[in-house]
Amino acid sequence: MSAHTAPAGPVTATGTDARNVDGQAIAITVFSTVKWWGRLFLPLLFFFTARIPKLTGTLAKLSFIHFARWTIVKKLPYNGEPQVKQKLRYAHMYFESNFNGGWEEYIDAFSHILTRGMTAFWGSSYGFPKPLPTAPFKSYIQVNEIEADHYYSAYPEATSTMIQRALVLDEKLAPLKRDAERMDPDAFAAAYRAFLCDVQHCL
Amino acid sequence: MGSAANVSGQAYAFMAMTPVKPGEEDALATYLRGLRGRGPSPLAKLPRTHMARWLIVPDMPVAPRTHARDPLGGQYLLFTSNFDGDVDSYLHELVELMADEAAAIWSHCIGCPQPAEGAALKAYLHRNQVDSGFAFAAYGHASVARVKTALDKRARLVDFVVRAQAMAPAERREAFLKEFGSA
Repeated sequence: MSAHTAPAGPVTATGTDARNVDGQAIAITVFSTVKWWGRLFLPLLFFFTARIPKLTGTLAKLSFIHFARWTIVKKLPYNGEPQVKQKLRYAHMYFESNFNGGWEEYIDAFSHILTRGMTAFWGSSYGFPKPLPTAPFKSYIQVNEIEADHYYSAYPEATSTMIQRALVLDEKLAPLKRDAERMDPDAFAAAYRAFLCDVQHCL
Repeated sequence: MGSAANVSGQAYAFMAMTPVKPGEEDALATYLRGLRGRGPSPLAKLPRTHMARWLIVPDMPVAPRTHARDPLGGQYLLFTSNFDGDVDSYLHELVELMADEAAAIWSHCIGCPQPAEGAALKAYLHRNQVDSGFAFAAYGHASVARVKTALDKRARLVDFVVRAQAMAPAERREAFLKEFGSA
């Protein structure tokens, strides 16, 4: 855990090795081996997912995610002896996520809310058991997961929801700050009340 | 530099996989795992870093009941980071601001320049970069500094709202300007 800040609220990170945790943040790191057709399909899936907002909308609704990525590893750069120079037989999909909450709850939410998306992303991976029911899928992830040796979050005390609300709040606070100087106390009182009504979901 | 797929908003998703020297896997793992006990993470020296990780990949996992075995022939150090801005200046900061730890880590890897520092180490990390297929950032428009400022303001506002309940209008306006006027 980063020593510079302690979580402000209860630590919700549960269900994973301590090395995958920094405050509220959890790291998940998964490799899966891709079938031949995934080498063709996954780049197209990534391309369209990045460009069609509707496809990432559901991911954004999973408000406990900070950052996530999918990568296809087809080859590894050769750095000379004694690195073994060998061509990978398969492509491998790398998945990582930075999220908050419990590991089990994270997989449950992914499976139930992103059922079709999960099938699209992992359907070309060997051994993928479908997202539902969740028990076989959790076992699959556990077999393919690698623990972090060191994990860092710049703001370990904050959940993703807390950050997104704080950013909204910051934007809405700016006009009140700007106008408060030239308001009399009564006008400010009215503006302040309206501001609190507007941002109460962010507090 | 690198694929546009590494970028989400202004956030960049970097990943490098470098082969670990045979026989040095345990020493590298011990060093990385010991970073927690030696004070703040060295990654805190890189103010543009949101979240990052190091891990050693022993081999590609093989799913149960499948034949898809694909041995790597050695262990790999994987480093990923989600940070603000462009990769070139970030790696420059990494080798300069985190020089001691970067040298201690990547000197365990095959092909790493000796000494493991400066432009040569930066080039090594560039050469071993693996581009993302798709990167997602929930608040990719916000820098680390902006996130920290917003969290700080939110905490101060929550505190202010409680304190201000008992204040008269004139006092509340004055207290608000004092608290947030120059924020």
